[in-house]
Amino acid sequence: MSKTITINNKSYDIDVPEDMPLLWFLRDRLEFTGTKFGCGKALCGACTVHVDGQATRSCVMPVGALAGRSITTIEGLSDNADHPLQKAWLEVGVPQCGYCQAGQIMNAASLLATNASPSEKEIETAMQGNICRCGTYQRIKQAINIAADELAKEV
Amino acid sequence: MRPDIQGFLVAERKRQAQELASTLGRLEIDRRQFLKGTAIAAGGLFIGVSLPMSSLAASSDKATEFNPNAFIHLQENGDLLIYCGRCEMGQGISTALPSVVADEMEADWSRVRVEQAEGDQDKYGSQATGGSASIRTMYEPMRQAGASAREMLVAAAAKVWNTSPQNCYAKQHYVYHNENNNKLSYGELVAIAANMPVPESPSLKNKEDFEYIGKSLPRHDVGMVVEGKRIYGADVKVPGMQYAAIVHCPVMGGTLKSVDKTEALKVSGVTAVVEVAPLKVPFGSLGGVAVVANNSWSAQQGVQKLKVEWDKGEHGSYDTDVYMKQLVENVQKPAEKIAERGDLQSAFDRAKHKVSATYTEGHLVHAPMEPNASVVSVHDNHCEVWASTQSPDDIQSVLSGFLGMDKKSIKVNVMICGGAFGRKFKCDYVQEAAAISKAVGTPIQLTWTREEDTKTGYYHSNSAQYIEASLDEEGNVSGWLHRIAFPSINTLFDPSIQFAPANAVSEIENHPFGIANLRSESGLAPAHTRIGWYRAVYAIFWGLGYGVFADELAEKAGVDTLTMLNRIYDANTNPEQEEQVRRSKAVLALAAEKSGFGKSLPEGEGLGIAVHYSFQSYVAMAVHVRMKGDDFEVVRVDTALDCGQVLNKDGAAAQQEGAVAMGISLSKYCEITFKEGAVVNGNFNDYPVMRINDMPDVHTHFIESDAAPTGLGEPGMAPFAPALINAIYQASGKRYRSLPIQPQRT
Ligand code: FES
Ligand code: FES
Repeated sequence: MSKTITINNKSYDIDVPEDMPLLWFLRDRLEFTGTKFGCGKALCGACTVHVDGQATRSCVMPVGALAGRSITTIEGLSDNADHPLQKAWLEVGVPQCGYCQAGQIMNAASLLATNASPSEKEIETAMQGNICRCGTYQRIKQAINIAADELAKEV
Repeated sequence: MRPDIQGFLVAERKRQAQELASTLGRLEIDRRQFLKGTAIAAGGLFIGVSLPMSSLAASSDKATEFNPNAFIHLQENGDLLIYCGRCEMGQGISTALPSVVADEMEADWSRVRVEQAEGDQDKYGSQATGGSASIRTMYEPMRQAGASAREMLVAAAAKVWNTSPQNCYAKQHYVYHNENNNKLSYGELVAIAANMPVPESPSLKNKEDFEYIGKSLPRHDVGMVVEGKRIYGADVKVPGMQYAAIVHCPVMGGTLKSVDKTEALKVSGVTAVVEVAPLKVPFGSLGGVAVVANNSWSAQQGVQKLKVEWDKGEHGSYDTDVYMKQLVENVQKPAEKIAERGDLQSAFDRAKHKVSATYTEGHLVHAPMEPNASVVSVHDNHCEVWASTQSPDDIQSVLSGFLGMDKKSIKVNVMICGGAFGRKFKCDYVQEAAAISKAVGTPIQLTWTREEDTKTGYYHSNSAQYIEASLDEEGNVSGWLHRIAFPSINTLFDPSIQFAPANAVSEIENHPFGIANLRSESGLAPAHTRIGWYRAVYAIFWGLGYGVFADELAEKAGVDTLTMLNRIYDANTNPEQEEQVRRSKAVLALAAEKSGFGKSLPEGEGLGIAVHYSFQSYVAMAVHVRMKGDDFEVVRVDTALDCGQVLNKDGAAAQQEGAVAMGISLSKYCEITFKEGAVVNGNFNDYPVMRINDMPDVHTHFIESDAAPTGLGEPGMAPFAPALINAIYQASGKRYRSLPIQPQRT
């Protein structure tokens, strides 16, 4: 029986060579293109997804090693694009070209899941692995703060 | 694939619109008339705009082709579809331009949908997107188009109510009757409006009545971005497509000596190895070897397994350290004269003080987050392209030559660029995908790896400049000698060029400083790699030279930088530069005021200022730094800008924040190094760019202006580095004259 992997709550057979990074399984096999390729070496964060809730660079994560695990991509972060981060992203108008933003949002979501009210330093430390060449960093910080406030209200 | 009715309808509507557009495109019309509206049986109201305006004003009375540059399509249900002819790369143009149309048209923005127009220069005019020119050239025509549509809708309502258009007004997708409260929606009016004559000169709204222009309308596409649904060139999938990766000859002009494909072909998923010949035209491939597979990763693995040997050719010994030494030597001795005015010698002879300095800057690569990517499908007599691009027309030209096809047979679907910064103006990556598709007979998606993007790009010129100036008794700048040496972009088109030519060096004689006694010279600087436009282009090193040298002059004259800059501007008596002087001084004053320039700061902190006029916009920046040992932190940036009428304040601010971020990258870290002909850097580990922890608070301030709008994608770049360097000098006494400040050598 072939190994399976859960992506956005749906189960898929791992029907590619096991050493293929998750990024390419997502992008080229399943055609979920929301997760982006930026460097292929865990240097830029564009390919960030969640593996069992934890932000992970999918470009260096062999899909075969993820059998039985649960993956969330930007396409599955929320049902109606209503994750507090997605809402805050729109409120602040974060994206420029937008290419890095799925990775930024997924990384920030993982941060907020473990630290609901991060300090400025904690945000900077957690988000340091995600490059944005358009330079939207100031707005990313702002939007994370707004989302954190929103989450605090929900509790 | 499942039949997709919705998609079919959309495609059908698009096809109709395109058909109409091409009909319009063939209409011979009077020069003065540049708007055309018409109805089609089941379509609604279409308006096309012809560009450029300047050709309309030309005196020739010969009839000209009607070249609609943008399309407004008011659909039968009242939804408004606006095609954007310019390319989107994150600068927000696909929101800014349509918002102008919508504003004049009194359209409800929630009823507007923006579509990226496909590549067709005949229909849309120039779609080449660069030089911060889109807003500058398209603002007026967009307004005219929107206003015409509004007047046609008003006329339609007047007809229904049997009254005069003067008794009606449009507001937010409705036309109202002035006297009673009757109203008709745009949807109800569209069929009638489509048969109204197109107004010759529609009246434009007053600035006070703007609904969207000058406000902060959100981008039309951010919703798609946060859901991961925006499709970039790298994301396109077409039936039967295969994936490719490529390794290029590392040296410009080099050739393939040998390739052993055996191991590559053994990689699971790999289907072919294709040699891509160099194409010796501007924007043609450097030449390389590509691997084709059923997924990108296998293709990349295959490339790694290739055993390739290159013949490096004539540039095989290019070494940027050696080259830079030579550039510096070349500007520290007399060079080719470019321009001269006044009497420099006697100004120098009578000088109270002389100041001189040499500034250098290394090569840069654009490094957009999306590496070069496109899909190309080559057929016998036609070809279809889906590309992240800044210039669909260049794709058509290059492919037309390469494939031996008419430009019209090459359909270019313009995808949003995941960052571009000038890189995606050059379509070598598209031509390579075409070469591979042609060889294997299927559509090909070629995505460059980050390493290829870094190692085989088109680089921002490295440069050295020497400035020598005299101060007279009163501390005024009396003479200015400016020598510069850099391999120019002209070398892409003519490799025999040895000196940056007059048009690349004209900044010196045209700079708003307007120094009366002046001489400019261009030093020997042949190109050993492909040189290309990089966001702000030469303004980066002009900004560096002028901005830092002003600070050095100020110090010599015993005044602060702001005083020195104002003194220089005030001495400019050239009436043709009166406006440049006035607006430069105004942004400077604003940046100084907002940053509290001149205030006393704690030990180890500094506030530097610089101003630059480029791409017809004015930007001054005040940069506040705090030293951390030898390192520094940028605490805050106040940027003041005058870009005439602002179209979108939030978008304009975003461009300033982006310019600061890119400014920090290039000031602090970024430098492409060549050894033995090839680039040493490869990925973000050895070509580090700025990350979130380096981001200062950026405060953007606007000069309120009624002047014609000018672009903002690039002008924020030039003043950052000099303001930073001046701030560091104030904070630490250390004067940097070379970028980057902290070179990362591998
Ligand atoms: S693509 Fe995975 S970190 Fe850059
Ligand atoms: S928005 Fe363009 S790279 Fe981040």
